[in-house]
Amino acid sequence: MEKKRHNVWYKVIIAVVILIAVMAFSCCLGSVRIPVRDVIGAVTGLTEVSKATDTIVNKVRFPRICMAVLVGGGLSMVGALMQGLFKNPMADPSILGISSGSAFGAALIIVFNINFSFMGFSGLYLGAMGGAVLAWFLVYNIARISGEHDLNSTLLAGIAISSILSALITLLMTLHRESMEQVYLWMLGSFSSSTAQKTVTMAVVVAVIFPVLIFMAPRVDVLKLGREAATGLGVSASRTTGILLCACSVLLAFCVANSGIIGFVGLIIPHCVNFMRVYKMRGKLLMCFLVGAVFTLLCDTLARTVVAPGELAIGALTSLIGAPYFLYLMLRNLLRERRMR
Amino acid sequence: MNLELKNVTRAYGSFKALDDVTVTIPEGKLTVILGPNGCGKTTLLRHIVDSFSSKMPIAYVPQETFGSLSMTVRDVVSLGRYDRTKFYVRENEEDKRLIKEAMRDMEIDSFSDRNTDTLSSGEKQRVFIARALAQNAPWMLLDEPTANLDVKHADMLMSVLTGLKRSCIVVLHDINLGSLYADNIILMKNGKILSSGAPGEAVNCRLLEEAYDTGFVSAKIGDREVYVSSRQ
Repeated sequence: MEKKRHNVWYKVIIAVVILIAVMAFSCCLGSVRIPVRDVIGAVTGLTEVSKATDTIVNKVRFPRICMAVLVGGGLSMVGALMQGLFKNPMADPSILGISSGSAFGAALIIVFNINFSFMGFSGLYLGAMGGAVLAWFLVYNIARISGEHDLNSTLLAGIAISSILSALITLLMTLHRESMEQVYLWMLGSFSSSTAQKTVTMAVVVAVIFPVLIFMAPRVDVLKLGREAATGLGVSASRTTGILLCACSVLLAFCVANSGIIGFVGLIIPHCVNFMRVYKMRGKLLMCFLVGAVFTLLCDTLARTVVAPGELAIGALTSLIGAPYFLYLMLRNLLRERRMR
Repeated sequence: MNLELKNVTRAYGSFKALDDVTVTIPEGKLTVILGPNGCGKTTLLRHIVDSFSSKMPIAYVPQETFGSLSMTVRDVVSLGRYDRTKFYVRENEEDKRLIKEAMRDMEIDSFSDRNTDTLSSGEKQRVFIARALAQNAPWMLLDEPTANLDVKHADMLMSVLTGLKRSCIVVLHDINLGSLYADNIILMKNGKILSSGAPGEAVNCRLLEEAYDTGFVSAKIGDREVYVSSRQ
């Protein structure tokens, strides 16, 4: 047992080191290449760097890199919790209906060309946030109609609301073809609009939600035993589910408002962590955050460097890179199991 | 403390799953609930969990086969110690002993590092029972624990439960396992208690015929009766 506990922390430490290395590496790359020494100097302020380097690193790349880390980590954690709560390996963050809500909010702002800003946040960001809140308000209240928080109702309400909002987005795009490209590109996801202010806001949200999720994580393991068994162990299924879904929704709403819809991360990263043999929810959430952050950051680095100064859609890259890697891990595991038989 | 249920009624819409049930379940005994499908056995267990879990720890094993758990066998069994370890307290020697004993009793210690998603239904069932044993609660409620078990493991489970000297309530479909191992039997039909008491009093061919709407013949093994449907 001691060995196993040691193993999880050992994996967490390796993942942290890799994350820091990838962050530094990503900061160096771009249309202007900056040496690692200057990147460290600009971020820490310990050594003198040119004004241009300081601006590129601290105003452009570092906020974007931190955003990719926070969003990738957040999406993966939410995915792991969805799979744990719904006891379904195919569950991912989109089943809560929040992504569609955000997309609908953003589509409205784009299509009707509404230009405003509030406290430094753009109309698009606030529209996406408003859409997410509206979708979650509907899903949450429909699921609680029986008085208790019911997971099946959440799932069904999430799918239904998601379908309605997706249909509305399609209608909006069909009726306003001139905005179609912009809406579509928003939905494919990008970190290009990350600013220091948005990144700090996102970091505060993660700093608040992360401890809640880690604290509640063992309860998700207990809930897997069934409602009555959990009750016998002093865990209320309704309360735990309600708190976790609300926390996940807030995190997800900020992720989607900041980056658009980045598919696949929330679905595959928890499975990749499973392949690393990290099963208990607390360890899994920690590893999901780190692995999801590394994966998303690598995808974003590719997205902004391969065709620089242009950009590739990160949503397409996460699927294009993630799916084959996921298939490789799955096949390796299946072959190993076959050999063991 | 005996479990006293008085005039309990539970309904799903207009269907009464429990209809004015009054029964006393003795402490420290192995109580078996028998009855045909849909007679309210599971609802009775769930009612006990909902009504008494705030007053005393209850270890419950549900009948459903679970979806993906993605946890090792040892991790699932150790959830039985959640009440003590929930605030990230490390397992102490007592926790480790209880987990080890539960895994040994259910003969799952040889595959303790396997992912439960790769187990057969019977093996999974034994993992969940071990989880409940590790909880070491004064009351254990098991809903059809032998449903997926082979004869050897079903017998082994009943022997373990008998040897626990804890209060156990077990829903069974195998009348003879109940008759051979139980200290107390509750026979149900249509949400009502048909009979309750020691196996010799609560179960006989006439009562079984009334409960299951089919004839029964009996034979004596030692001091206990076993029953076979007369259609066989």
